[in-house]
Amino acid sequence: MESKKAEKRSEIKQTSSFWVWVIASVIFRLILIYFPQNLNLSSRPEVSTPLTSLRRLAEGYWLKQSSMSPYSGSMYHGSPLLLSLLGPLTVNGIEGQPNHLQCGLLFVLADVVSAMLLRATGQSLQMSYSRSLKLLGLVQLSKNSEMLSSGDIAALVYLWNPFTIVASVGLSTSPIENLMIILSLYGASKRLSSLAAFGWVMATHLSLYPVVLIIPLIFLLGYGPDGPPRKLFLQRRCIKDGTNPISDNFCQQDELLNQSNLPVTFSWKPVIHFLFWVSVWSVYVMVLCGMSVKQNGGMWEMFKSTYGFILTVEDLSPNMGVLWYFFAEVFDFFRNFFLIVFHVNILFMILPLAVRLNHRPCFLAFVYIAISSMLKSYPSVGDSALYLGLLGWFVFELADMQFSFFLFCGYVGVSILSPVMHNLWIWRGTGNANFYYATAMAFACFQIILVVESVSAVLNHDRMLRKLSVTDP
Amino acid sequence: MAETEISKMRQRPIVRLGVLLISHSVLVSVVCFTAGVLALLLLPVLAKNTYISENALMPGSASSMLSNQEISEANKLIKELTSLSSKPSGAAIEIQGLIAHYMSSLDAEVNYHKFHPQLNQFHPLHFFSSPDSGVMQENSSCSLYGINIVGIIRAPRGDGKEAIVLVTPYNSVKSSVNEALSLGIAYSVFSLLTRVTWLAKDIIWLVADSQYGEDVPVAAWLRGYHTPAFSNLGTLNTETCHDSNNIDVLKGSPNLETKISNGFRRSGTMAAGLVLKVAYRNEIEDSLCIHAEASNGQMPNLDLINIVNYLAVHRQGLRVKVDKFWSLLNSKFLKILGDLFELVGKLVKSLNPDCKFGIPAVDYIEGAATLASSLYYQALGAPTGPHGAFRDYQVDAITLEISPHISFNKDRRNDFLLQGARLVEGVVRSVNNLLEKFHQSFFLYLLTSPSKFVSVGVYMIAFALLVAPLPVVAASLYAETHDLFPTSEKDRSATSDDLSSVLGSWKWLNSAKTTFVVHIWGAIVSLLPYFISHNSNPTANFRMWILLSVASHEILRWILGSPFSHICGRPQGEWAVLKSVTIFSFFIGLCLMSVINFATAEIGALLMVPMALMAHPLKLDIRSRSFKSFLRAICNVILGVISFPPATFFVLKGIFEGSFSGTNVGDFWNWVESLWAWNSATYLYIGMVHLPCWVLCVYILLHPC
Repeated sequence: MESKKAEKRSEIKQTSSFWVWVIASVIFRLILIYFPQNLNLSSRPEVSTPLTSLRRLAEGYWLKQSSMSPYSGSMYHGSPLLLSLLGPLTVNGIEGQPNHLQCGLLFVLADVVSAMLLRATGQSLQMSYSRSLKLLGLVQLSKNSEMLSSGDIAALVYLWNPFTIVASVGLSTSPIENLMIILSLYGASKRLSSLAAFGWVMATHLSLYPVVLIIPLIFLLGYGPDGPPRKLFLQRRCIKDGTNPISDNFCQQDELLNQSNLPVTFSWKPVIHFLFWVSVWSVYVMVLCGMSVKQNGGMWEMFKSTYGFILTVEDLSPNMGVLWYFFAEVFDFFRNFFLIVFHVNILFMILPLAVRLNHRPCFLAFVYIAISSMLKSYPSVGDSALYLGLLGWFVFELADMQFSFFLFCGYVGVSILSPVMHNLWIWRGTGNANFYYATAMAFACFQIILVVESVSAVLNHDRMLRKLSVTDP
Repeated sequence: MAETEISKMRQRPIVRLGVLLISHSVLVSVVCFTAGVLALLLLPVLAKNTYISENALMPGSASSMLSNQEISEANKLIKELTSLSSKPSGAAIEIQGLIAHYMSSLDAEVNYHKFHPQLNQFHPLHFFSSPDSGVMQENSSCSLYGINIVGIIRAPRGDGKEAIVLVTPYNSVKSSVNEALSLGIAYSVFSLLTRVTWLAKDIIWLVADSQYGEDVPVAAWLRGYHTPAFSNLGTLNTETCHDSNNIDVLKGSPNLETKISNGFRRSGTMAAGLVLKVAYRNEIEDSLCIHAEASNGQMPNLDLINIVNYLAVHRQGLRVKVDKFWSLLNSKFLKILGDLFELVGKLVKSLNPDCKFGIPAVDYIEGAATLASSLYYQALGAPTGPHGAFRDYQVDAITLEISPHISFNKDRRNDFLLQGARLVEGVVRSVNNLLEKFHQSFFLYLLTSPSKFVSVGVYMIAFALLVAPLPVVAASLYAETHDLFPTSEKDRSATSDDLSSVLGSWKWLNSAKTTFVVHIWGAIVSLLPYFISHNSNPTANFRMWILLSVASHEILRWILGSPFSHICGRPQGEWAVLKSVTIFSFFIGLCLMSVINFATAEIGALLMVPMALMAHPLKLDIRSRSFKSFLRAICNVILGVISFPPATFFVLKGIFEGSFSGTNVGDFWNWVESLWAWNSATYLYIGMVHLPCWVLCVYILLHPC
């Protein structure tokens, strides 16, 4: 009784400290939003890309107000829905306050909601994980996995990550894109098909790259949240029943018949629901877009200057990605070829990863997001903020990750060095584009190492589980 | 056993090399550090002769067109100026009127530029923003103002898109003969240039009103020049300051009104800036001193210095100098080193006559003294003259300080004027030939004499060797702690129940938190002078600063957790992880600083790397009772005292000045204030990299293991 009370007290203390940190992060953001002139973050190439810059959105809104196509003049490349949602906020500010204040508040709200969704998802992931560990008979491990509440960690990492703070204070629209992605993952992990479909459709509509997330979402809806490899359950049960493990076939069928709520089976019902809702939401979004751009240009122009702009890498102004320099240098007649190569690069990795990590759909989503934020045409710190936040869900699995310290130092070093190199190149004239591009390449390398190491850490974790579940009685 | 051996064999060579380096980290760090210091001392020997890299410059290819006629006109101007300035008061406006009159009589476009000197203000983020931000002069007072006089010659062969700037600082309130002479030189060149046909770039002559310092008027004019007045900010500014219309008084005579305008006259982009000064220095011969360091250790293109040096030496017969530390010339240590290098050079030459290594000992000492001053002035981050303001707009500029012969009289004056004017004419003619911006030669270099330089490729080696041990030692410490406390799977699943076992390889997070807190504290400390600088007494300010820093440190520790309260066990290895994180953060900081201002990073590495590498808990050293550890403890204590930035400052000051008497605690405050007044990145380095590293090293020394 006593120990339970103490546990409860510590739990309360933990949650209260969590809320203190959340509130502190909100206050910190509000302070930063109030003094943006000194920081001038919204003009940094790392923060606002042609797709996410709020200044471009304001320009698009102005064009639309003066009954021109918002896409004329190659200024705005975002969604028309975002234009009607955020556009009015950029114009009429609160009395006596700077204009951007309302947008800033909206982005802070988006950040907080994302963090809450991350927390809820993380908690449900953790619960299901420890339950499945118990099913495997690994009681000690499941106790250990409950020690760190991964949901809280993910939420706090997301809120206090300097990248997230800079993205939301620097007035880029990436907090909203991130919110949509997190929303879809939350919906899928809670098996709310319509919510997951809405998040996925919106995220795809806003930035195209989340389209690859449909695979982890389907896995998540079909199999349920992350767990140990499914083979382990089957083996385990066979051993438990005392049947011969060689006659696997028989025992699997038996289990299928007996217990359908276990994560072994793929349930089609939520997936069908999800696909249905996806079609509903996408039709809905298309209709809204069509209404919005009907007068000027129509749907084709919208697709050309949003998705087309993303896929053909038209804007070659420097950013923290690796594509701009390459396409500035490449000969024109190779351009199409390399465009295909670079985009297929993302698609190539989808299938093998899906096969290997199909029992961990959330982690699969993390890997996809990390890869696409590395190879996308206009990456910003907001994208990195998203996958670093998701990393918090897998604290337990990644505890033995190699090079964690090295990666941390690399991220810190590159994110400080990048603005300095930009300054050397643009303002002081003693450096050149190679200096800045070198930091972009270093950043890409660190992202690759992060993905590789985290995947191998998770696979090692799976191996360890297998070993333990086989050797344990 | 056999299996592990095989797996070791299978490792890639690069991994094996890394493991080898890490396992011999002590040896590696000693060797690298010594080599780094040695390479730094070798730099004067490795310096190359300068050469003019841009072919278009062609210095000295045309003979000088300047004749005695211009000189006599200049003499007239000098005479009138000296007679005016000997008047007791009210002469300032007359002098300005006189200069403007002389300019406009040469058919140049003339305008007055009125500016309000800005009080020194600290912009911590100035480095990352464009030079134009912060244009608004918030705390300039209307009563203080200066008037620059700007004359522009439009080039007959140019399209007005490029310009060369001549600057002569002139204090109209308290003028001296030197400044009148520099005006005379500039005037004679200017009057020649109005008549020549080869001019392809406009010439701007700025007579900078130097009553508030020489840098202020140039910076104000450049800011005005580069800030296009689309908005009516400029008019707004003048409207807020309704004062007596001195400028209207200046435009007294009606026949000049057409040429002298009150509006801002502009020309094109600036190709180069030349600041002319005359100084009496009791030289044995006519000499020319070149100052080139701009803010944050930025240098103008080496070609600009090269043409000045070439023309001065080969055409005008001036002795060219750059700054050097005079106190180093008598240094015994340098003399011994110089002799040694000379000996080695001779030895090498006897072995292989083609090999050119080694310089005479005298040259070595001179080179080392010049190199030291070059490093120091770059590291300070404050410009050494009015040319510094140009570099903020990416214009290459230098200050030419001409000092005449010791026996300077009336007859020699004409010769001296002719010499100076011909030098400036030659430089202008060379730059006039330029087709693009200066880009051929080096921007990153250190001078060891006016005709010798060390390029970035050479001096980077010394720095790289100095900082190379840092990641090696950090990695070896980190690896050691992991080997000491292996977190194998069985260990974790079976026994441990505490948080640290779950954290696994993320145990360094706690040390990272400590490091982060200390760096935040460093940022707070660097911002503190912003709030306490209204007090005028430097000693009191300094004390206040220290007091507030300590207080903020305690508060931060109280809020964000003390560095040693550590719940998750295993404190034995904790200091090693902390040291590893400290070294890594210091390494990142140094690399960053080497990009921003190399000289600062080099000096900082020299001062702090030994401490960062040596730091070891004193308690452990004393407990082990061996001679080696005792020696290390003593070294640590000495280094710990010396590496504290104010202590370092006083020690170095004492060494360079030869005596410790007369040092005042306020001196450090004054030095730091000069740093932040110039928005020097060195200040931020000291506050946010150097000081936190020192504090963390002290944490390690006092660690209760």
